[in-house]
Amino acid sequence: MAMKELQSRRRFVRNISVGAGAIAVFRGVGLIGAQISGQNQIKAIFVDFDKCTGCRTCETVCSSVQNRVEIDGQRLRGLGNPEKSNIRVWHYNPDVDVPVTCFLCSDVPCIQACPVGPAPGTGRKAIYRDPELGTIKVDYERCIACGACAEVCASTRGGVIARNAETGKPERICTLCGGRTACVRNCPYGALSYQEITMDDELRNMTPDTIAVRLIEKYYEMQLETI
Amino acid sequence: MNGYYGKLLEVNLTNRRSRVLDIPDEDLKNFIGGRGLGMKILTDRIKKPGLNPLSPDNPLLFMPGPFCGLPIPNSSRTCVITKSPRTTPAKSRYKHASGIAYSNMGGFFGPELRFAGYDGLIVTGKARKPSYIFIEDDRVEVRDASKYWGMKTDQFDVEFISDLGDRRFESCYIGPAGENLVPMACVINTAARAAGRGGTGCVMGSKNLKAIAVRGTRQPAVAEHARLLDLIDKSRETFAQLDNSVRRWRSGGTTDMIVSSSNNGTQAVKNYREGTFEEVQKIGTQVNREKIWKRDFACFTCPLACKKSGIAKGAYATFVHDGPEYETGTMLGANLLISDLNGLQKCIYDGDDYGIDIISAGNVIGFLMECYEKGLIDINYLDGIDLTWGSVEGTLAMLKKMAYREGVGEKACRGVKYLAGDIGKGSEKFAIHVKGHELAAWNVHRSPNSYGITYTMSTRGACHLAGGSRTSQDNMALRDSLGTCSFASSWFRNDLHYRHFMAAITGLEWSEKDFLMAGERIFNLEKLFNYREGFTSEDDILPERFFTEPFTYGPAEGAVVSRESFAGTVAKYYEDRGWDKSTSKPLPEKIAELGLSYFM
Repeated sequence: MAMKELQSRRRFVRNISVGAGAIAVFRGVGLIGAQISGQNQIKAIFVDFDKCTGCRTCETVCSSVQNRVEIDGQRLRGLGNPEKSNIRVWHYNPDVDVPVTCFLCSDVPCIQACPVGPAPGTGRKAIYRDPELGTIKVDYERCIACGACAEVCASTRGGVIARNAETGKPERICTLCGGRTACVRNCPYGALSYQEITMDDELRNMTPDTIAVRLIEKYYEMQLETI
Repeated sequence: MNGYYGKLLEVNLTNRRSRVLDIPDEDLKNFIGGRGLGMKILTDRIKKPGLNPLSPDNPLLFMPGPFCGLPIPNSSRTCVITKSPRTTPAKSRYKHASGIAYSNMGGFFGPELRFAGYDGLIVTGKARKPSYIFIEDDRVEVRDASKYWGMKTDQFDVEFISDLGDRRFESCYIGPAGENLVPMACVINTAARAAGRGGTGCVMGSKNLKAIAVRGTRQPAVAEHARLLDLIDKSRETFAQLDNSVRRWRSGGTTDMIVSSSNNGTQAVKNYREGTFEEVQKIGTQVNREKIWKRDFACFTCPLACKKSGIAKGAYATFVHDGPEYETGTMLGANLLISDLNGLQKCIYDGDDYGIDIISAGNVIGFLMECYEKGLIDINYLDGIDLTWGSVEGTLAMLKKMAYREGVGEKACRGVKYLAGDIGKGSEKFAIHVKGHELAAWNVHRSPNSYGITYTMSTRGACHLAGGSRTSQDNMALRDSLGTCSFASSWFRNDLHYRHFMAAITGLEWSEKDFLMAGERIFNLEKLFNYREGFTSEDDILPERFFTEPFTYGPAEGAVVSRESFAGTVAKYYEDRGWDKSTSKPLPEKIAELGLSYFM
């Protein structure tokens, strides 16, 4: 009774179509631009959605280490304003939480979208993958602040690229803390890990909304078209 | 002052204007934030007794504490403060005499309000049509909420955030109960978390205010940055050790207490007639883990995750956004002898969906079940609802009647004090309230010295969270003022005592004694407000049932409160408080000691 009512108001549909495309792209393309030779694997931040409680401690920790402040001549971690975090936890109703940080997508739509030509010597666009950890970095000298990277990330992936309020240039892209991953170490629930990601890992490389739809199906046996 | 913005946002719904007011440093120092600072502002605004709580002049405050917006574990609480539409004194000169209402909710709203750059929000006036308040840092607007009026809270929670177009907004809102001015209406956020008690949702409804949305990008600076980081690191490490208590909160939340309280004979069962529920295992943690719960949820930066979500199936299929918690599971479960778990979940869901205080609603329905069983009312009084013990259908029907004030609901939504007056025939002896506010899920027979005091002396009328002694009450007032969650207080001891966090935030060192005195100041200010309205020692009484009807079965069989002994406990309490023994008025020297002379 009640469930039927709720399902109808949430535009109950028989099949989830959203998201399937993203998976197909991921499976078909491999690791373009991830300069980790010969491997179909990359080390990234992995979310165990069963364990995430949506407490957003990761946001505060990330913001704290990524935004150092100088106080009395000392360089200290910030207080952890979530607005400045590189990881975002999105909350949905029915209750699921979707923490999202840079997926280090194998097909790097952000780089693909960048209209700035490859730099002589390095061959890098204004946004590029750093070979060391596979993170996405920005060449602020060459960036023209067009916002194409942020746009494509928001419409097809995690939407993790923010644009600086003044310059319009991309920022808040996960650095993996140089491999130290503060969010992973401080998650009170052990929901985050820094581990090898394989092509079979689902619930990555798609929008938070799509992940939420899938989680809601999993936990609450409800199929939604949109959220 | 460090750690604060020193800014209060005022939104006047009558003229739709907002302004930012400075908060004096003295007030921050003396009243901390949250419940305390809200109380100070309330007394600044309400200068005379007898104000109609539903008048546009009654301010409605949303007060995070100074911990909110800083990543201190468990710092998510927002206190909603106003003049209560629920409590009434035995005698008063004033037609609209009522006490204070404060009600505390977890989630993310309070931290977000601080991120927006405010230490508190005060809503005044009354909107001409249904409205919501939109806050995004400096941008503050009163917007039309007509399309949402009438919407239940779960659907509202889905549609509102979708319309706002940004999931970073946090919100709180009322359901049909608040819109319909049901006195026991509450304020809800995230479809389940509630500022449940005291009728704050009714006052919100009286202002035609459906919701508040807030999003912020700031954070206050603190006095001793490195020290605060160190304290936060250490408190995180403490929780990370995952001691048994942390594990228990995560696995069962407050639901664990449903079974343990029954086993101890301390549960509200059958309208407080008994302390043990024979079928309690059917609604406890274990069966919920097996059949209902899918996920554990936490408030902002909380390592305990006591909120449980899932689905119930069968005839009462429903989402389970939370519960059964100890309170909701007992008040709509054990207290009504409901052991049908899916049915119980549906009752809890509907209560939240209507935006009604489930503690008071469960208490009222238990009272009516008893009246019906005893033949004091017939089925016609109940509009044809066969309200027998254990009836899920009857309970669902009554919740709806109350939320929409239909028929018997018009009377029932006013609470058991009103109903006992209407029904008469000795029913007041088992109308389980203090000052008009219904008791919660902890029974009294076995623990008069703690819960007896908790309920009788609580400044918002009967309340299980007020504390059972002077010290406990002062500590609770402090926690409610800091914006931290009392469920986590046992980990904040010694080197991690709250006062050290406050010292790092503000730069002011508090001795343990001074710190507790801030709690005492807050509690006494509430008491003074109530006393001015007409509440005296005559109102500090327990319902008759606890003195005259011993439990008839269970581990606490025979337990009953001794009238003489309890009178002694009350007398000792007044003395300990520095209050006049015959009237309960705080003595002049106590008022002076606490710096509250301004109020007199």
